[in-house]
Amino acid sequence: MSVRAAAASVAERLAAAGPRGLNAALAWSKEALAAEADRVDALPRHLPLHGLPIALKDNIVTTELDTTCGSRMLEGYRSPFDATVVTRLRAAGALIACKSNLDEFAMGSSTEHSAFGRVLHPLDPERVPGGSSGGSAALVAAGVVSAALGSETGGSVRQPASFCGIVGLKPSYGRVSRYGLVAFGSSLDCVAVFGRTVGEAARVFGAIAGHDPRDPTSVGAPPPVLRPASGSLQGIRVGVPAEYFPADLDPAVRAACDRTLEQLRELGATVTPVSLPHSELAVPAYYILAPAEAAANLARYDGVRYGRRAPGVADLRSLYRESRGQGFGPEVRRRILLGTYVLSAGYAEAFYRRAQAARRLIADDFARAFGAGVDLLFTPTTPTPAFRAGEKTADPVAMYRADVFVCPASLAGLPALSLPIGRSEGLPLGGQLIAPYLAEPDLLAAAGALEAALDPAAEAR
Amino acid sequence: MRVTAAEVARIAALAELAVDPAELPRLTEDLERILDFVARLPEPSAEASGDIRIGAERLVLRDDVVLPSGLARPPADFAPEFVDGFFVVPRLEAMEDA
Repeated sequence: MSVRAAAASVAERLAAAGPRGLNAALAWSKEALAAEADRVDALPRHLPLHGLPIALKDNIVTTELDTTCGSRMLEGYRSPFDATVVTRLRAAGALIACKSNLDEFAMGSSTEHSAFGRVLHPLDPERVPGGSSGGSAALVAAGVVSAALGSETGGSVRQPASFCGIVGLKPSYGRVSRYGLVAFGSSLDCVAVFGRTVGEAARVFGAIAGHDPRDPTSVGAPPPVLRPASGSLQGIRVGVPAEYFPADLDPAVRAACDRTLEQLRELGATVTPVSLPHSELAVPAYYILAPAEAAANLARYDGVRYGRRAPGVADLRSLYRESRGQGFGPEVRRRILLGTYVLSAGYAEAFYRRAQAARRLIADDFARAFGAGVDLLFTPTTPTPAFRAGEKTADPVAMYRADVFVCPASLAGLPALSLPIGRSEGLPLGGQLIAPYLAEPDLLAAAGALEAALDPAAEAR
Repeated sequence: MRVTAAEVARIAALAELAVDPAELPRLTEDLERILDFVARLPEPSAEASGDIRIGAERLVLRDDVVLPSGLARPPADFAPEFVDGFFVVPRLEAMEDA
């Protein structure tokens, strides 16, 4: 099939994934897709992503499609530059298909907090696809696109990958350029990848990883050399942290994890118990650090330089306050208030400093486990399968707790991947592998071997 | 943790965020609940002191040269109001916080 014909079929599927369908796709057009197809057709066919249709979470900027961040604040905003990851995807032959829906400014765990409506789970419209990269996850899971970029601050790709039954890879902090990723929590933010398989996610990751002088937090290390998955994990030590298997863990999640650990042993890996004793501090620490950084980062939306400007205001201060008050939705407002509170005089010591110390303890836990000879860690990705829409929106803390198993690796800046490991009453369950800093090649090779041995459609009992 | 509606209003003013007074009770309740949850973090110990560095070993200084902006469109195209090279805003209320 020619790239042009493939683009036309992507357009048909995108039309069905709009507001009357999954509500997963935001900006796209047949014309832009046709232009993309013509551009790709002119490129050499041996390029690693030749003709691969890819969705971009709508907090990654492009000059050809609007970037809204799922917010009224940026409705109609068109970036004057392309994100580095977009430039690299294009150079690798990918076909940029669309922008995808997200929790506003990537703040959420269910993609119910978008100004453009919630995203539906592809297998059960009553449920959420996870978040905040829920649009990207739903588009890949529904087969609308082959792969997608999302972003992670505290698990926003691994958690929806788990809920939707696909692969989600969060690279090491600094491994992929963030130039053109709209900032949320700068000490945590990463561009991350969704694929239907580990191999597809690895291929996309390989195309976007590597140093970028435009991103001062980008790592100077040489680009990762990825290798094909082998059928054996002989000699690999997999640590299983007890703290990720609490007594009240969903029984189906536990059963799927037990079966996966059995599979790891059959592949030749040594499975060994480890302890990450400060794991329980991760979510509270995250919900101090990320909002604090968000409050600072989102100060730029003031109605002056770009984005929404409140009409009819008399003075500059009212312009700031009204533009921000009208432009931001409830969860973003909540987090700006929380971030401002924990940084305000008299509270910074009690909150921010404690959270930084907790982050240090969490990172040290991982360093100790890997220092003791463990190559990878295996955990569930989420405590439950996809929850029902509306189930957690009234209680922000209940929503935040959905990130309990994905937050720690984010705080430590480590690469981690979620892959489908089974089902519970038809809903996908994800397992998480966490690797040492910059060890994506080992992570992807092991995940590939495990994927080949698992039956993700099997019910976990 | 006890938070008052007046405190939330003060924080909203610090954050330059207009909040409808009718929203304050709900925001106050949410903030109290979240602060209760995050307040469980222990006091920092000696073990956890010192800077944490995630990612690159050190940040690399860039050459001090002016590079082209790389913008496909000028600010006049995306700013709400841009005239003669300036972002245009309403006047500042005279010393309102002085």
